[in-house]
Amino acid sequence: MNPELERILAAKTARRERLRNLSFPDKVQAVIELQKMVAPILRTRNIQVEIWPDEPLANKDNLI
Amino acid sequence: MEGVLKILNEFEREGKVSRYAIGGAIAATFYIEPFVTFDLDVFVVLPQTQGVLLTLGPLYRALESKGCVAKGEYMNIEGTPVQFLPAHNPLIDEALEEASEVLYGETPTRVLRPEHLLAIMIQTGRPKDRQRFASFLEQVELDAGSLQAILERHRLKDKWHEWSSQ
Repeated sequence: MNPELERILAAKTARRERLRNLSFPDKVQAVIELQKMVAPILRTRNIQVEIWPDEPLANKDNLI
Repeated sequence: MEGVLKILNEFEREGKVSRYAIGGAIAATFYIEPFVTFDLDVFVVLPQTQGVLLTLGPLYRALESKGCVAKGEYMNIEGTPVQFLPAHNPLIDEALEEASEVLYGETPTRVLRPEHLLAIMIQTGRPKDRQRFASFLEQVELDAGSLQAILERHRLKDKWHEWSSQ
């Protein structure tokens, strides 16, 4: 495999692994960040959704 | 979400619910990488009242007395839409009984075990359950013996073979 592609795939796998191992509150905050991205798209289709309040127990630095 | 869990714990202590556990997408997220969802599914065992049909009415009234607002099939608790799902079949009863005790920050709560979540996905069988099923198989270290026993007890082995072979 191309070494550059290999490096990218390894980085993707590592990121997924890191996300899988986040604390429960950090994972909930990650869900909320996804809600913030998806809600505007759903609303253009007249699907009303509510974004949850930010999770005070989460460390947002862990989500970068 | 911690506020929701504190209220649920309080209600369990007071007997307004006999037992609860987080299920659905947020329970799945506990085990795999986070994915988007807009509701928190909470499975509940309602207290037995002799001669009266079990309903969510008393639970909803108790939540409304705390300022929570019902909206469609959800109850908005501190800004989080929570869907309460009463235990309605033997698989859910067992999943609730055997749910894992975990901490959310410093607040104790329960999350359905991954083997039960997988069995519920198979039993429910919606397209989004199939997607989650694939992520689960890829990312979660399942207790194979326990999973097989659950599938056997709840007659889900045929569907398991069908799903896992695709």
